[in-house]
Amino acid sequence: MDTVTRRKFLKLTTGAVAVGAAAPLLSMNDIAQAAISRPLPANTPILVIVTLYGGNDGLNTVVPYTDPLYYSLRPELAYKQEVVLPLNAELALNPAMKGLKSLWDQNKVAIVRGVGYPNPDRSHFSSMAKWQTASPAKNINSGWIGRWIDTQPEEPMLAISLGSVLPPVFAGNKRSGSALPLGGLVIPKGDLAAQCLKLSRPVAKDSKLMAAAATSMRNLFSVSTNVQPVLKSPAPMPPDLPTTNGGNAGGDSNLAQQLDVVAKLIAAGSPTKVWSVSLGGFDTHANEANAQASLLGTVSDSLSRFMGQLKATTRSNDVTIMVYSEFGRRVLGNGSDGTDHGTAGPMFMVGNAVKGGFYGEQPSLKNLYKGDLAVTTDFRDVYATVIEKVLNSPVEPTLGKWTGRVNFFN
Amino acid sequence: MNAQRLETSRLMQRFGFGPRPGEYAQALKDGVAATRAKVLTVPAVDAGAATVLVPEITNIGKRPAANSAEIVPYAISLRYQNQQLVLWWLDRMAMSDHGLTEKMTWFWHGHWATSVGKVNFALPMFIQNKTLRTHALGNFKDMSRAMINDSALQFWLDGQDSTLKSPNENLGRELMELFVLGVDRYTEDDVKGAARALTGYQVVNYEGSLTFNPKRHDPNPISILGTTRPFNGEELSDFLVAREDCATFIAERLWYRFISSTESMPASFGAKKAFATRDISSAVKAMVQDPAVGDSKNDLVKSPVEWFIAACRALELTPSNLKTPTQLINYLNQLNQVPFSPPNVGGWPAGEAWLSSAAVQYRIAFATWLIKQSSLRGLLEIPVANRAMKSADWLGVAEWSPRTQGALRNSMSDPAQFALLALCSPEFIVSA
Repeated sequence: MDTVTRRKFLKLTTGAVAVGAAAPLLSMNDIAQAAISRPLPANTPILVIVTLYGGNDGLNTVVPYTDPLYYSLRPELAYKQEVVLPLNAELALNPAMKGLKSLWDQNKVAIVRGVGYPNPDRSHFSSMAKWQTASPAKNINSGWIGRWIDTQPEEPMLAISLGSVLPPVFAGNKRSGSALPLGGLVIPKGDLAAQCLKLSRPVAKDSKLMAAAATSMRNLFSVSTNVQPVLKSPAPMPPDLPTTNGGNAGGDSNLAQQLDVVAKLIAAGSPTKVWSVSLGGFDTHANEANAQASLLGTVSDSLSRFMGQLKATTRSNDVTIMVYSEFGRRVLGNGSDGTDHGTAGPMFMVGNAVKGGFYGEQPSLKNLYKGDLAVTTDFRDVYATVIEKVLNSPVEPTLGKWTGRVNFFN
Repeated sequence: MNAQRLETSRLMQRFGFGPRPGEYAQALKDGVAATRAKVLTVPAVDAGAATVLVPEITNIGKRPAANSAEIVPYAISLRYQNQQLVLWWLDRMAMSDHGLTEKMTWFWHGHWATSVGKVNFALPMFIQNKTLRTHALGNFKDMSRAMINDSALQFWLDGQDSTLKSPNENLGRELMELFVLGVDRYTEDDVKGAARALTGYQVVNYEGSLTFNPKRHDPNPISILGTTRPFNGEELSDFLVAREDCATFIAERLWYRFISSTESMPASFGAKKAFATRDISSAVKAMVQDPAVGDSKNDLVKSPVEWFIAACRALELTPSNLKTPTQLINYLNQLNQVPFSPPNVGGWPAGEAWLSSAAVQYRIAFATWLIKQSSLRGLLEIPVANRAMKSADWLGVAEWSPRTQGALRNSMSDPAQFALLALCSPEFIVSA
């Protein structure tokens, strides 16, 4: 091949990888100046859901670092005692999670252990559907947040997911949450806008999908006029950069970018009570150690940076973060330096209102259920608590009669 | 809604990639039976598809060291080949005279969903695409065997790391859950058994080559779904494909992608029985002839690639000629669907997932960009007097709603805006 200039290289390489690199689409000059017209009332609790797609290995996230069984069961994958970040005499965080450790030390992190649901399903898709619909026994089409949205007054900005595809958790029976791409929105103008609004009108004969197509057009206008000006403003700056945390030094991952947008919009008073962000890649069947550590580092750094950003706002006490994945992984390694799909895993709740500490029973490594960790807490216990304490709503319309709770709020 | 218009529209949108100017009106004249027969009769030679030049996808060898002089040209060829591959396939979809083969290949790509994101090289993806096309309407038993021997699929699901000493469950699980049987039609022990049966494959990724190494394979008897005997990968494939659940599952997948992603498949759906011999074309034929195709409640959302190709056909555009291909792939990426890059092994979502407000703005920008590059012949040839109504025929839409008619009538003086509204209307985004 002949010598390649830098120019030619850039020309050939800006293709398939760069999302949102298309300048004409994201012309910020097009964006209207508008202020948030109906800010979220002060002191309204806000939920930020962080979904880790692929099945995060819980045992190497919250590590039973003094349990000899941990070392004998997964010799090739176990973290050595001297590298982990101890939380108490039994459990420690993955060495990559320094940011989260520092939040733990400030009593802002609740770790719910052994979370799952009855009859664990090891399929990514089924298991994630069970978590997002909160219906492990029966396949249904609505997500638990979607059903909560159904009970609320119509507000297109009530629940916003970062990214352009809507996660099932936000799909209600009557209404759904909105999706917001990282690059921001470009809204049609002038006569085109008027005609687009015409296209967005519901008509009596519309099927459900046709009506959803029309609604998505309508939401583009309502979300965009409110969100756009805020996206143009800089993200809030953390007033106190923790010195132990390398994650603040940049190295934006996509999760950090998503949370930057969330922080900006929270700071601006967006009338949004639920946010959804996500990070993929946790399906570590092979060469797990580096891959998982790097992802957990991203989660930990992004969350501590986000918590720092909130300090610069008036809403730092209002926000609760919930982190989950569709399942944990098998206790034994699979020989490809990875692990196969497992069952229970830890959930993290982070926020100033959270009572830091451990909740739920740590699954025993001695009494495995078919080689897997036993589920000790049902995820609906966590959801029910969140619905009551963060969303200030009754549990029944969303989860039915569910009595379990986890007491992780102050 | 007029039943003939609805069924004709669905036949052309779902079992092909939508009509070119004039084709829908012609099909209405021919009648539903003739349209159905036409959809199902695959020509020996497809003159339109034959105009698409096959890209030069080659073995670019092992990746050079990170800081070596060779790495830059290497990375360039890698990206260039990956882009050429995407453009080639989009061209085939847009240019084919007969849509069924490409549509089925597209269906199977979403079924055996493999991403170049992990596989990295264009060559193994190209080989897999040819395999999917060869078997797209053939026998599923042959297809499944061919996929077991497909280097891209094996690499994607960690098959090359799965050995007698330490079997890896990834491929075995997905083979049962997502490719052949469907979820909950096996136990966790069967997954472990399947993983053992599939041990021994080795892949040289950049070559797109696969070998079977008997020394790494588990030769012992294995219990899978109540049968205990030694299995190799192909025997496992045959064994799973022969099960009744395979017919149920493939019929369900056809239903989900071609008939309805919201209604569940009724027991009477003809494709299941017709799949008894595992002949894919028989199942597709039964599906095309099934009364469900004409049932108004079975609407579907066009996925971004389907929407884009339908637009290209109406606008008479060739994807690889668009300025620029990089920009094209960016638009598809923003809508979250680039061929050869499914989000995960489950393939792309369906239905409402494509209907976010974020997708609306990208679709508007994308359509604006496409319309600028088209002569709009198909639209401009319709006399202005009845353009608002007749433009439904141009796009193969069964019926414009009053709201869309209103928006189109308000845009009569601006054909580009007219076309934009038509392409972004609920009636075109959804296959009614």
